[in-house]
Amino acid sequence: MAKAVIEALLARFPGIVHDAYEGVGGDDCALVEKAHIAEVCRFLKAEPALAFNMAPYITAVDYLGADPRFEVVYNLFSTTHNHRVRLRVKVPEGDLEVPSVTPVWRGADWFERYCLDMYGICFPGHPDPRRLFMYDEFVGHPLRKDYPLRGRQPLVPEREVKDIFRGPGPGGRD
Amino acid sequence: MATEGKGIGGHDSLATHGGSGTGQPALPAGARIPKAYDGPLDAPLMGKQMVVNLGPSHPAMHGVTRAVVTLEGEIIKDMKLDIGFLHRGFEKSCENVTWGQCFPYTDRLNYVSSIMNNVGFALAVEKLCKLDVPVRAKYLRVATAELHRICDHLTLVAAMGLELGAMTVFLYGVEARDLIYDRLTEICGARLTSNYVRVGGVARDAPEGWGERTVETLVRVAELREMIDALLTRNRIFVDRTRGTGVVSRADAIEFGFTGPCLRASGEPYDIRKSAPYLVYDRIDFDVPVGANGDNFDRYLMRMEELRQSDRIVRQCFEQMEPGPLVVADARYVFPPKPLVYGTIEGVMAHFKLVMEGIKVPAGEAYSYTEAANGELGFYLVSDGGGRPYKLGLRAPGWPMVAALPHVMRDVFLADLIPTFDSINMIGGEVEQ
Amino acid sequence: MADQTKAPPPATAPKPPPSSPAAGQTPPAAGSPAPGAAAPRGPPPAKNPGFVTCVIDGREVVTKPGTSVIEAAKSIGIEIPYYCYHKRLSVAANCRMCLVEMSNAPMGKLMPACQMPLAEGVVVKTDTARVKDQQRATLEFLLLNHPVDCAICDQAGECKLQDYYMKFDHEPSRLDIPKREKGKRVQLGPLVTLDEERCILCTRCVRFMREVAKEPQLGVSMRGSRSCISAFPGQPLDSKYAGNTVDICPVGALTSTDFRFRGRVWFMSSARSVCTGCARGCNTFLDYLKDTTYRYRPRENELVNQEWMCDDGRLSYKYLNHERVLVAREGRGAAAREVALPAATAAAAAALKDHVAAGTLAALFSPVASVEDLLVAALVASEGLKLAEVYVGGRPDGRQDDFLKRADENPNRKGLEMVAQAFGLLVRPFADLSKALSSGRVKAVWAVGAEIPDAGAAPAFGKLDALVCQAYDQGPLAREATVLLPAAPHSEMDGTFVNFDGRPQRFELAYWPRGSSSPHWKLAAEMGKALGLTWRFQGSREVWSQLGDRLAEALPGFTWDSLPSTALRRGLVPIAAGTVDGRLPGYRERVPEGGSGDTRLDLINLGNVSR
Repeated sequence: MAKAVIEALLARFPGIVHDAYEGVGGDDCALVEKAHIAEVCRFLKAEPALAFNMAPYITAVDYLGADPRFEVVYNLFSTTHNHRVRLRVKVPEGDLEVPSVTPVWRGADWFERYCLDMYGICFPGHPDPRRLFMYDEFVGHPLRKDYPLRGRQPLVPEREVKDIFRGPGPGGRD
Repeated sequence: MATEGKGIGGHDSLATHGGSGTGQPALPAGARIPKAYDGPLDAPLMGKQMVVNLGPSHPAMHGVTRAVVTLEGEIIKDMKLDIGFLHRGFEKSCENVTWGQCFPYTDRLNYVSSIMNNVGFALAVEKLCKLDVPVRAKYLRVATAELHRICDHLTLVAAMGLELGAMTVFLYGVEARDLIYDRLTEICGARLTSNYVRVGGVARDAPEGWGERTVETLVRVAELREMIDALLTRNRIFVDRTRGTGVVSRADAIEFGFTGPCLRASGEPYDIRKSAPYLVYDRIDFDVPVGANGDNFDRYLMRMEELRQSDRIVRQCFEQMEPGPLVVADARYVFPPKPLVYGTIEGVMAHFKLVMEGIKVPAGEAYSYTEAANGELGFYLVSDGGGRPYKLGLRAPGWPMVAALPHVMRDVFLADLIPTFDSINMIGGEVEQ
Repeated sequence: MADQTKAPPPATAPKPPPSSPAAGQTPPAAGSPAPGAAAPRGPPPAKNPGFVTCVIDGREVVTKPGTSVIEAAKSIGIEIPYYCYHKRLSVAANCRMCLVEMSNAPMGKLMPACQMPLAEGVVVKTDTARVKDQQRATLEFLLLNHPVDCAICDQAGECKLQDYYMKFDHEPSRLDIPKREKGKRVQLGPLVTLDEERCILCTRCVRFMREVAKEPQLGVSMRGSRSCISAFPGQPLDSKYAGNTVDICPVGALTSTDFRFRGRVWFMSSARSVCTGCARGCNTFLDYLKDTTYRYRPRENELVNQEWMCDDGRLSYKYLNHERVLVAREGRGAAAREVALPAATAAAAAALKDHVAAGTLAALFSPVASVEDLLVAALVASEGLKLAEVYVGGRPDGRQDDFLKRADENPNRKGLEMVAQAFGLLVRPFADLSKALSSGRVKAVWAVGAEIPDAGAAPAFGKLDALVCQAYDQGPLAREATVLLPAAPHSEMDGTFVNFDGRPQRFELAYWPRGSSSPHWKLAAEMGKALGLTWRFQGSREVWSQLGDRLAEALPGFTWDSLPSTALRRGLVPIAAGTVDGRLPGYRERVPEGGSGDTRLDLINLGNVSR
């Protein structure tokens, strides 16, 4: 449907956008070099012919045992052209920093926090890099494949309230 | 509609300053809410900022969400949302059960409209398997999903009325909802946790006379809906509280990733059922309501109109539906019929392998999206070719709306938080997974 | 037998390889399966001289002459289904499951991939509609008389009929007449029970007995649909290798009488282990459920056991389960009382310490214990107890044959000798200890492992002042112990055995030690601690990392981490043991050692989390 999108990307970012393929059901997909993802996204949003003005879903996958281990998946959508594209960014275990796209789409905010929380992938440039679901005292990243399914972590002891937002617990991280 | 006579948009010198009943016309889309005072003499005395903790267990916070608002007088200066109290590890759980066993987990995402989640997940798996389900199964999926959409919207409208003080509306809404739940119970055996859809079709056929009973039910639901409409849509209190509050401009709504009724309320005519039709939506005639102001009242109106449209869709499904198989006849994905399981080695082997190891979904990844009650319900699936999802990513419809709340709720009255929270319809089950 | 006369290129001359550089008419490589005289135009020139180059499913494959299509396809990751084929047995080509399209097939027939050697330039197709239809038809025939048995069949879950049905058939049955009935429980021999109805007559078992075990005790009797596998009249299947027929049976026809109906395989997990039945050290899978070992299966190791094991070894797992010592005991006979493990090790150390100065102490090491056990034990013996010699216990010798079984029924005698040498301990036979006991020179014994070659010598131990015995199970020596310490066998630890020809073989922990038992090394280390030694070990891995270098000369090139231990194995989604939750074998993991119940600590310890 949107072959033009992939072609425009390949033409604009040779070497950065690579391995374009047609996914199951005809989705347009491509892999993007990690360091340039924000740049590619900014282009996708700004270019009128593409106009990807929405980032409906960003998530991460842990391909344990593969190298690079992680992957961040950007599902992008344009309401004006009604086309979608899926960008995948490989993230090696030793370098878990992916440029944030929250400055591009504010809707990416919680998705990136979610990836941080569940997979431990950091997004430099994110305005509010905190865990999303888990509490601050939680150790580890639950959706990583090597996190035990029935792992138990002890209750956090109640401490003096220093900060009404943080509540009981060590303050200062907010 | 003679709304002026009822006071909508008319000037009311007694109305709360800053509220939409004070005489200002409806705000243009995207406009900032005016300051809560008219001139320097009205300006409130500068006071200390106060931090108020709403929730996690607060009657007006759906489920268990915690909002920490920094107040200056009644004005919200800052707001932080703390979610995760209902986090149950949906994705982790699903990654450790077979594909078929994921369905009960999806029931519990948006527990008011579970079949929609079933359908969304089944379509995602079928996308990976390249399966095309039988036509009757498609109609049954659409009919039950739209019934659940009615439930979902009724719940929202009812709860919105309740939290703004209209108890009667809640009772009407819940009565209508339970009538539909009764019909859904007849087809799948449960009110909430339906677990009705299967990879490759649906679990069982509609019982004898179910279509006629459902249409009768819809008539009664329509009566209740119109009563709610009469009670709320021109209700002065309700309109005062919702009109012009929680405004999200069209550009902002897209930027934040809004989908579904909340996006359409802001004026963006985007509905996946129309723009990327799935199942049999392309054979059904229905309209997509679109708002203009992006405020709470518009979001409410979207729901009211979608109630009517879903009613149309369900009736058309019953008219168009024809007898036929309910599941694809492929032993790799669907259990063989029980007589074959008990009587033939082929049947028992397929049953055994499907139960013990799960269906073997071809290796690959796919993102599938459907229009759930609150917007785009997406599943990003990765299969390694085994019997269990390698990765199951859930794009909850309510997620971006909740995420945007702190940005929308800035420099507005604390009281406006409640209708806004209602109208974006946060469902803890899906947002917090 | 690979019948090579079927191979010559037929009238339809094979196409030359697509991009063959016409480098003259090179003669076919020696040993090429295609005899040139049969074809008028001769075989095509070899593209890679000395090898056969052909195309399978559009992918070029270069193999040695004589390689069968099935093996060549496997080498490039293409699966051709089969039942009767087995790479260590002769080819029977009777199951018809592996039929593929080959460009040199006479009259374009489908050819059995297990039997056909590849010829130069042949094009093989394994996924055409014809092949798929043939696979479906074959499965339909095989399942025609197959009983509806999955619910009660031991093979269910590891059955190739089930696997292939889901992959290659998945069509409903068309049978509308009754199935043929045959014998459901034919006792072929002491270890093998045959269900004739389930048999697909692949004759793998017949060929195994004839070619590998070299005891042709099985055959196919009757004809047509009445055919069945049977032993000869009056002659049971009593070979000591009969158990392997159960393993190679692709369906549920041959079942192990020992394992039959005892557990469902899909609930079980497997650990890579080593058989402790004799000094051969056959590589095994140890199948367990919760903390019970259910069976051994041979694991492939070309250099040790190929993929076979003997029936004695197969049944030798039982000591892991039965009559285990699970709590420490102090005092013997009527004075015996159960004590906590720390108190028991302290008491043991105190009892032995008294005899150190007097020189009336002896250490008895069992060659059933692992290298890690013995390293720590030898360390404590030489540094803590100041001993200069150890006596060697162990099981008595058994029968020996010319295939796998060794007379020495201890898995680690070589390892014991290496450890003793590394610590400068003199190794002395058990008979010497008996003499020393009767002469009264030895008044206290520390037994690491309670196996003794001569059960008649046990009463003499009852007269000792102190007998500290670390035992897996109740036995003659354990009965006489003044301090009995519960030891954990090889199923409950990571460790190493050195087999009779000096090959170190790692085995992995299957489940955490039962009751309050601990591996020998841990018990020895606790005693060493009570004796004032400063060595501390967290796990077997640490034992090796601290003491293993003393064996560097004896075991050159051995890396302990060649078999990663449980704690370091990644990629499994851990689930607490003790749940029967229907997961595939290998997907369930064990409760972390120590059982802190705090995942945070485990993650930090494993280095999975950077804080």
